[in-house]
Amino acid sequence: MKENTEVLKTLGDSILEYIKRKPAVPGAIAVTVVIAIIIGIAGGPAQVVNAIVAGGMWALLATGLTMILGVMNVPNFFHGESFMVGAYTAYFIFTPIHLYLMDNPNKFLSTIAPFAGFFAAAVIGFILGSILEKLVFYPLRSKTKERWVMNSFLLTVGVSYILSNGVNLVLGPNFRGIPRYWDVPPIKFFTIRLTVDRLFAFFLAMVVLLLLWYFMGKTRTGRAIRAVSQDEAGAAMVGININNIHTLTFSLGTSMAAIAGAALLFMFQAYPTVGLRPLYYAWYVVMLVGLGNVSAAVVGGFIVAFLQTATQQFFGIEWGEVVPTVVMMIVLIVAPSGIFGSEVKGIQEQ
Amino acid sequence: MLKVENVDSGYDFLQVLWGINIEINRGEFVALIGPNGAGKTTTLRTISGLLKPKGGRIFFKDELISNLPPYEITHSGLSYVSEDLNLFVNMPVYENLLMGAYIIKDEKKIKQTMEYIYELFPRLAERKKQLAGTLSGGERKMLAIARGMMSNPEMLLVDEPSLGLAPYLVRNVFDALKTLHGEGLTILLVEQNVNATLDITDRAYIIEQGKIVLSGKSKDLARNEHVQNVYLGI
Amino acid sequence: MIKSTGKASTIARTLMSRTGFSSSGIILIAILAVLPFIPPFNSEYILRWLVVGAFMAAQAVAFDLTAGFINVVNFGFAAILGVGAYTSAILANTGPHIIVQPGISPWIGIFIGAFASAFLGFILGFLTLRLRGLYAAIMAWFVGIALLGLARTLTPLTRGSLGMSPPSFFDTPSNMPYYYLALGMMITIYIVTKLVTTSHIGLAFKALGQNFDAARASGINPTFYRVFNFTLSCFFAGLLGGFYAHYFVSMTPKAIMHTSKSVETLAIAFIGGRGFLWGGIVVAFPFVFLLEYLRSALPQLPGIHIIIYGVLMILVMIYYPNGVAGFITELKKKLWRLRKPEKT
Ligand SMILES: Nc1ncnc2c1ncn2[C@@H]1O[C@H](COP(=O)(O)OP(=O)(O)O)[C@@H](O)[C@H]1O
Ligand SMILES: [Mg+2]
Repeated sequence: MKENTEVLKTLGDSILEYIKRKPAVPGAIAVTVVIAIIIGIAGGPAQVVNAIVAGGMWALLATGLTMILGVMNVPNFFHGESFMVGAYTAYFIFTPIHLYLMDNPNKFLSTIAPFAGFFAAAVIGFILGSILEKLVFYPLRSKTKERWVMNSFLLTVGVSYILSNGVNLVLGPNFRGIPRYWDVPPIKFFTIRLTVDRLFAFFLAMVVLLLLWYFMGKTRTGRAIRAVSQDEAGAAMVGININNIHTLTFSLGTSMAAIAGAALLFMFQAYPTVGLRPLYYAWYVVMLVGLGNVSAAVVGGFIVAFLQTATQQFFGIEWGEVVPTVVMMIVLIVAPSGIFGSEVKGIQEQ
Repeated sequence: MLKVENVDSGYDFLQVLWGINIEINRGEFVALIGPNGAGKTTTLRTISGLLKPKGGRIFFKDELISNLPPYEITHSGLSYVSEDLNLFVNMPVYENLLMGAYIIKDEKKIKQTMEYIYELFPRLAERKKQLAGTLSGGERKMLAIARGMMSNPEMLLVDEPSLGLAPYLVRNVFDALKTLHGEGLTILLVEQNVNATLDITDRAYIIEQGKIVLSGKSKDLARNEHVQNVYLGI
Repeated sequence: MIKSTGKASTIARTLMSRTGFSSSGIILIAILAVLPFIPPFNSEYILRWLVVGAFMAAQAVAFDLTAGFINVVNFGFAAILGVGAYTSAILANTGPHIIVQPGISPWIGIFIGAFASAFLGFILGFLTLRLRGLYAAIMAWFVGIALLGLARTLTPLTRGSLGMSPPSFFDTPSNMPYYYLALGMMITIYIVTKLVTTSHIGLAFKALGQNFDAARASGINPTFYRVFNFTLSCFFAGLLGGFYAHYFVSMTPKAIMHTSKSVETLAIAFIGGRGFLWGGIVVAFPFVFLLEYLRSALPQLPGIHIIIYGVLMILVMIYYPNGVAGFITELKKKLWRLRKPEKT
């Protein structure tokens, strides 16, 4: 009996201690829940569902971004272009199949056709990431590590402009989109109508994040990635090929952004600068929760989605950039390394 | 087993090592001793591949390793326990050990080694799930050595394991090293704790200002005038 | 008499070196000053490129004050420049399209605009004060995006995406006076920046840029120096924004304030060589010429100039992180050594 109260007391103490140490964490979650409830009351439950769906995507994007940042210390500014490449890939794979199916209806093929697009986007994203890592970041890394964070950041800025303008040059500025992936009526859920595309985009984001979580936590290679992010010299000492891990991480992050681009093609048509908004939101999430903090990025995706929905609900879409920036300013003044704290060494030093 | 031949090494524009020669046979327990800043750590970093030598060659098991990246040197059976330990601070103890066994694919073998390590360092067994970053100084040293052993190396390089430890913990660490040596492991130990080191090692090299100035049997060195004057304070 | 001329020349020389004018610098300025009279540069078409060159060069110097010294890449630079442009444009307005018609002369408005930008820079400096390099860069980017959003949203003042057509500085179609105005601004900005960075303030900037914590520990007050740096750099940006407004006499939020505009400035400053100030000036003119030429020669390849910016920036960052200015400096040193072999 006495022991039980003792345990409860220590538990309570440690929770209090945690809240004292990081008061922002429960605060942020509480604020998000409150925002969600307010959105639900003001805009109806459909708005809440939409925010959750968007949150899944921002989480996916931000996770890729923060992984690259955490493992390689590269602040990636062309994450949006990876998104764009995914969108184009899905478009060019899915559209011909779709046209063929219009002439030759086949229910089974129609159901799985979108997957071809997603898969192709994942693969192309992965390949793009590997090529860029080997072509751009590997040479920089082997030249000098001085001012690495800023220099690599500027390289990604260069890559970003090359990619978007290169695509503009080759494919032109036109929008390429699809009305929907699955031509089926929306799912009704009490008063909420949810298209299958939306539902699936969310589902896909969650599956990818779960796979990633398993990969990072339970596999030898995933552990190696975490090891490199925590101590590069230590990782080399236990026999990890750092260069390979860097390439792999970069490719995975790029691939995740490409998957997001593919999954959202029905919402964001493919065009050369389609990546701007996803880039903004991904960075927003990462800054808000703390650089390199992978698990926090998932939570952050949802926080930002609610913030975004609330902004549109109460201020109007044209304030979509102003209000979040003000919120970010306040957050960073209170917690300069994000709500959940940064896990990246090297960033702080520069 | 390890042959360091005329090695020059250093950092960017600063040369630290000048023509270092070290030779270690299989099963030997050898010490590298010298004052602060003499280049002991630099020597180990160069052998383990974290620094590229500016001149000279290094052989391990008769194969040239001085042109290999560090991870390949680990693969060849040489394990390095560094001065700053380089633990994975956000991983629990057991994951650090798993990482130590990164180059081993055989799960059963990993499990066996881990059990052996837990026997050798019962303290670590008690703290399996604790994050490495929250361990005490002595426990971290133990973990670093244990992690170095997880790859079943043929040779271990250890950099100042006694630094900053209470005397009884130093004895623990030295005992562990002695046990490992007794089981056939070749060890190169860097130390400033000269007395105790000359006591447990077979041979020793004395390094001063980047050069090997003396070498020989530990017993003999302990009686050497220079060593007694400078290191033993007799 | 001799003594006093000696003194005067010493003073002149110190001033020259403090303001960073080497003899080659003076020659460069002299060439730039007479260029508009030499064919083919005297055609209005090419003169326009020269104006853009001076404008970009001045931007690069102002940008480098922050990026090259306190090591914070101000991704909101273009947006802050836009604030200066919009302020001056709104103040000069007499037409019915927006709600206020102050009709203030551009010559006054440009300074008010510069102070508006400086004020924003002051705020930005405070906001990013506790943030390290990367956070500060991203935060500046967010602020830039928000400012662009504001320029689009505040349609009663800015006409939003429709853009504004502010009056021009001079009552002439010629580019000539604008060229000298831009050149004068460039030289002024360079001299002021150089004076600041070669004083003890510049040392503090560099110390903060290299190692924030060490600098603070050694008694440098980061608040003052960072905020001062941002304020000054943004003041120049605002001034240049005013120039933009009353030279191009047509502006939209996207055309001035977009992140890609900051990146163009960044590219010139970094290819020129960060922390050198004059690198951007040396690079800006040939660059503007090359890119304007490409743009007009290859209209079928839109955006090719940005791709070239990107590729060059990447190559410079990897293989020559000190840029053109670093290269020239090193070359000079080598030549110097050749001329004066070491005594043995
Ligand atoms: N990372 C480094 N960069 C530059 N110089 C270093 C570095 N590490 C050590 N040194 C210098 O190399 C010399 C030898 O250092 P080290 O090998 O660590 O000595 P020891 O381990 O014998 O105390 C010292 O003068 C030290 O200042
Ligand atoms: Mg040492």
